[in-house]
Amino acid sequence: MVEIRGLTKRFGGTTVVDDLSFRIEPGRVTGFLGPNGAGKSTTMRMILGLDTPAAGRALIGGRPYRALDKPLRLVGALLEAGAVHPGRRARDHLAWLAASNALPAARVGELLERTGLSAVAGKRVGGFSLGMRQRLGIAAALLGDPPILLFDEPVNGLDPEGVLWIRTLMKSMAAEGRAVLVSSHLMSEMALTADHVIVIGRGRLIADTGMRQFIESAGPGASLEEAYLRMTAQAVDYSTDAAAIRTQTRGPGR
Amino acid sequence: MTRFTIPLAVLRSEWIKLHTARSTYIALIAAFVLGLGTGLLDVLSVTGHWATMSAADRADFDPVGDPLSGFQLGELALGALGVLAVSTEYATGMIRSTLIATPRRAVVYTAKALILGLFALLASELCAFAAFFVGQLVLRRQHLDVSVTAPHVLRAITFAGLYMAVVTMVGFGLGALIRHTAGAMAAMFALVFLTYPAARAFEGSSYLPDHLTLADAATALATIAPPTGPHAQRIPSFGFACFDLVLYLVAFLGLGAARALRDA
Repeated sequence: MVEIRGLTKRFGGTTVVDDLSFRIEPGRVTGFLGPNGAGKSTTMRMILGLDTPAAGRALIGGRPYRALDKPLRLVGALLEAGAVHPGRRARDHLAWLAASNALPAARVGELLERTGLSAVAGKRVGGFSLGMRQRLGIAAALLGDPPILLFDEPVNGLDPEGVLWIRTLMKSMAAEGRAVLVSSHLMSEMALTADHVIVIGRGRLIADTGMRQFIESAGPGASLEEAYLRMTAQAVDYSTDAAAIRTQTRGPGR
Repeated sequence: MTRFTIPLAVLRSEWIKLHTARSTYIALIAAFVLGLGTGLLDVLSVTGHWATMSAADRADFDPVGDPLSGFQLGELALGALGVLAVSTEYATGMIRSTLIATPRRAVVYTAKALILGLFALLASELCAFAAFFVGQLVLRRQHLDVSVTAPHVLRAITFAGLYMAVVTMVGFGLGALIRHTAGAMAAMFALVFLTYPAARAFEGSSYLPDHLTLADAATALATIAPPTGPHAQRIPSFGFACFDLVLYLVAFLGLGAARALRDA
């Protein structure tokens, strides 16, 4: 569905994504993990054609994003919740997005309903809480009923109800046969949501494996957090003692 | 690369963006209040003092240029509209949503410019014609009015509107180039207002800088009387003023495009 081949990005002299290759498969939730600055957001931006790679390609069904006609019908993306004009009403935000990809105007009402925003559809987005903005971002991502979904930190700042809603949504999307990629720093949440993990550090691929195998690789009784910290210990930009201590002193079982 | 076309869907999308932003209405109201109001005050002042005005002042009076005098202020509101139409997308991060929906930058930029340009042209012409007819209503009381069919009258009104639309697009180009609302606004104000005194500094050696300023081009376009008085040389010919409009339009849309086609 989504294939990344030798993807590389440099900012100035720094290589932030380094010869990265992986695939996002349909029918499962793929967790996209890595320390701050590992290149997760940059990779997502390159998949979406927002950044131009220095080398390599990100292909959506065999084509680069910028060559797609009506891409919202193929890929739904939630980047930061800020990609909205605060002075515009929620309904109007979805309306211009729908129009740009020739989606029926009725989709706007359907998605407002589905994301629980119907009551505030006529309100300006600037007055929305973070949770409401996140829901609006999800509504925008689902407008074109796309088979591929990319979520960058979707549960950041959400209340428990919102977290549960997004988790359920992503799982149901994968169950419908869609390819779902989700980045997050919340390991316990990832452990509940993702079937597969892709871990990167300093722009390089560290792991691309099933969730269970990934956790078991850290030893019996380990958690995703422990497995993740062990894997990325060499790849954090600003290492603190805590991470090192936790991976070293963990006893078998707890 | 496929043939370059602007899909109707993208044009519709840009139109929805334009008419669902509050700033569009605020700018439009400001343009009409300034454009109509200033012209009206000018004309009321002339009719109120006509009996006591000197022959020279009477000769200077332009029954088309005076009612249209407000558009030198109204243009700022429209220039601001042009800036906001693009700078807010970058300032709010909304441009990412735009480019995810329409990944081809050239398509987005062209569609945005087309929709804004048509909208600005319509609003500007409406403003210019309204200012003219309101002015004539006042002038009629003193029999100072002219008919819209008199020589050059229609041309002056139409080009006053066209001029305001060009200033809108200069604002748009600056917004796309600078991407920061405040910076682009300052640049637009400077370009419209500060180039005028700057060009005057060169008058000792050349009137060409004068002829290239927007303010002097505006004077040449929105009048039926040839310029008179000691500063007449400052005003470009009608033809040169038309060239100015094309020059500004091409230069600033080009500068905006040069940056807008790069990564957001």
